[in-house]
Amino acid sequence: MNSITKIFTSSIHPASPLQFFSRLTLSAIILAFCSLANAGKVTLDKSEWGIEGGKECISCHKKSSKGLATQWEESAHGKAGMNCLDCHQADIADDDAITHEGEVIATIVSPKDCGRCHVTEYEQQKGSVHANAAVLIQNRIPALENIGGLAIVAGGCDQCHGSVVKVKGDGTLDPKTWPNSGIGRINPDGSKGSCTSCHGRHLFSKAQARDPGACMRCHSGPDSPDREIYEASKHGMHFMAQRDKMNLDSDQWRAGIDYSAAPTCVTCHMGAAGKIKPTHDVGMRNAWKLNTPVSEKHYLVVFEDGDKLNLPVSREAPERGSKMTKLDGSMGTVKAVASPERRRQAMSSVCLECHSKAFAKNFMTQFDDVVELYNEKFGKPAQAIMQALYSEKKLTPLAFDEPLEFTYWELWHDEGARARHGAAMASPNHTWWEGIYEVGRNFYTKFLPQVREAAGEELGNALIKKHVTDNEHHQWLKQPGKGNPILGYGLGGQ
Amino acid sequence: MKPLRHWKIFGFLTRHVLFALIIGGLSGIFFILILIEFDHFSSSEEFCTGCHSMELAATPYRNSVHYNSASGVRASCGDCHVSEGVLQATWDHFVGSKDLIRQIKGSLIGPDYDDPVIHALHIPDAAFSAREWFIKRGSATCKRCHNKQAILGSRLHTEAVHKEDAKDKSCVECHINLVHRKVPDQKTFKREAWNRMIEEEFNLPVGEADRLLE
Repeated sequence: MNSITKIFTSSIHPASPLQFFSRLTLSAIILAFCSLANAGKVTLDKSEWGIEGGKECISCHKKSSKGLATQWEESAHGKAGMNCLDCHQADIADDDAITHEGEVIATIVSPKDCGRCHVTEYEQQKGSVHANAAVLIQNRIPALENIGGLAIVAGGCDQCHGSVVKVKGDGTLDPKTWPNSGIGRINPDGSKGSCTSCHGRHLFSKAQARDPGACMRCHSGPDSPDREIYEASKHGMHFMAQRDKMNLDSDQWRAGIDYSAAPTCVTCHMGAAGKIKPTHDVGMRNAWKLNTPVSEKHYLVVFEDGDKLNLPVSREAPERGSKMTKLDGSMGTVKAVASPERRRQAMSSVCLECHSKAFAKNFMTQFDDVVELYNEKFGKPAQAIMQALYSEKKLTPLAFDEPLEFTYWELWHDEGARARHGAAMASPNHTWWEGIYEVGRNFYTKFLPQVREAAGEELGNALIKKHVTDNEHHQWLKQPGKGNPILGYGLGGQ
Repeated sequence: MKPLRHWKIFGFLTRHVLFALIIGGLSGIFFILILIEFDHFSSSEEFCTGCHSMELAATPYRNSVHYNSASGVRASCGDCHVSEGVLQATWDHFVGSKDLIRQIKGSLIGPDYDDPVIHALHIPDAAFSAREWFIKRGSATCKRCHNKQAILGSRLHTEAVHKEDAKDKSCVECHINLVHRKVPDQKTFKREAWNRMIEEEFNLPVGEADRLLE
C-alpha cells in the first residue's frame, strides 16, 4: 500500500518524517479535492449571456410550445436574462448541430454545455458514478437484453442509465437513443451525463433537485427501492411532515444552517454539512458498493482528468501518479485515492449536524453488520455455488436460460440489494421483511433446491455442505428438533 | 378624291403577306398552346417518374401530406417545382433538362442515378438546389395553394405564429423536408455522416459511398 492510502487508512502508527511529509502532500491533495467539491456560483459576467440571436426565439416558442417557454420564463435562467441560444447554441462542426430559423443549434444540451457557466458542477459530475451510470452496466446489458429486447434497453435501462446518443447522417437523433435523460448518457459531444435528469428542463430548479422526488424516477423499484426506503425511514417521515420547512429554494442549502427539518437524498450524498462541502459527485461518500453479488468496500480513485473509479479494497490501491485503466477502457493518471474510511468519514460528518458521534457510529455499525451478514450468509455462498456450477458445466454459460440463474440474479440484485439499501438508509421493513427475509426464503426454498436439481444429488449435496451447512450462519439447520409455535409446533400437544 | 393615307400603310398587305401573317399567327398560337400543354404534361407525376431515379424521389412524396391530403388536394411534381406562367414554366423545364442530360449520361457512362445508392448519395445536393430555387422565388409555387393570411391551423397559436413571427418569411424558410427524404440544412450538412448513414442503410462497407461519389 502506498503512502497516500496509508494516511487514509492508518492512524495507529506514529508518523516518520517521510510519512509526515507525505501527509502534508496528501492534505494538499484532499484540500484540492474538497475545493473541487465546492459548489460554485456562476462567476461569469452577465455580459457573457443573452446572445443576440437568441432573443427572437421566445416570441414563436411562447406560441408553439408554451409550456416549455413558460417554464423557462419562470426559471432562474429566464430571470437572469439567459435565452434559448445561450444553452442550445452549437458549432457547425458539432455532430448534432442543426440549422433552426437561421441559427446553428443542438437539441441536446450536454453537461459540457452547462459547464460553460457551471464550471464547478461540471467538473464534479463528470467522473461521478452518475456520469458513469451507462458505462458501469455495459457488461450486464447483453444478458438482460436477451430477456427483454432492444426496445426495452431503449425504453427501460437507458432511460435511467443513459443511452449512447446516436446522431444519424441526416442530422436527426436516432429514436433508439433519444429522447433520453438518463444520468449517464453519452452525449454526441463525448461528455457523460444529463443535468436534466435531476434538474428537469426547462425550469432547472435547484429546489426540485433537492427534493427526493428528483431521485425517485430511477431509485425505486425492486433492485434499489430507495424511494420506498426513504419514505419508510425516520428521515422520510420528517421530510413528509415538515416539507414546508425545508427551505428548498434557498440559495445556499447547508444542513443545520439553512434547514434542519429533515435530510433528503441530496443532504447525505451531495449536500453541504458542517465542514463537508456540497458536491455534484453523488457517490463520493459511499464506502460500500451495495448493488453487487457480494458487497465490498471501495477506494475512490481520482484521475488527473477528473474521471473517477471505484476500486474494491481487495485490489491494491494505486500509487499517485501511476497509470491505470479507467472505466471506459482508456488509461488515466492517478491524482488521488480516498480510502473507504475517508469516504465513510465524510458521510458520517453529515449525520453530526443532527446526531451525536456515538449515534452516527453505532448506526454505521448496524448498517455494516447487515451488509456483512448478507455477504457471509448468502452473498458469498451463493456466488461460490454458482461459480462451481458453471465450472462443472452444470449450467450453460448463457445467462438466464436456466431457472436457477433468475433465482440467483434476484437473490443478490433485487432482494439482496434491497436489504442492504434498507440498512444503509434505515428502513426496518426493507432491511428485514422486504430484504433479508426474502433473501433467506429465496435461498432456502428456491435457490438450494434448484442447485440440487442442476448439480445432481452428489455434487449438489457436496456444494451445499461446503458453502451452506458448514457455514456458521447456517448452523440452525442442524437443530431440526427446535420447534416454534408460530408455525403451529407444539400447539397440538406434541 | 385622294386615297386615304392609312391605306398606304397597309399597302404591303398583299395577299401573300396576309397569308403569311395568318399562318405565322396561328403557328404562334399553336406553339404557345403546345408549350402550355408540354409544360402541363412535363409537370405531371407520370412524366417525371418516367425516369427511375425520379421514381425513387416520388416514393416518399407518395407518403406525404402533399400527396395524401385530407381535403383531396394533391400537388403534382410541377405544382411545386415548376413556376407559374408559360414563359417561366418553359424556362424552368429548359433549366431542368440538365437533370435529364445527366440521367441519360449516367445510364451510358455512369453514375447511374437509377441506382438507389447513387440516388441517396446525391439527394442532398438536389435538396440544396431545390431549396435555393424556392427561396429565390419567395416560395411562389407554395403560394399557389397556401395563403399565409388564411392559415388557421388546428393548434391554438398556429395562426398567430404565421401572422406575427413568420410575417416577413416565405414558406420554405421554416418548412423544409415536407415531401422528400429528410436532408439537413446545407449549413450543418455533413457529407461524411451522410455517407456513413447511406452505407449503413444499404449494408455497404465503410468508405464505399466516398468511392461511388468520386
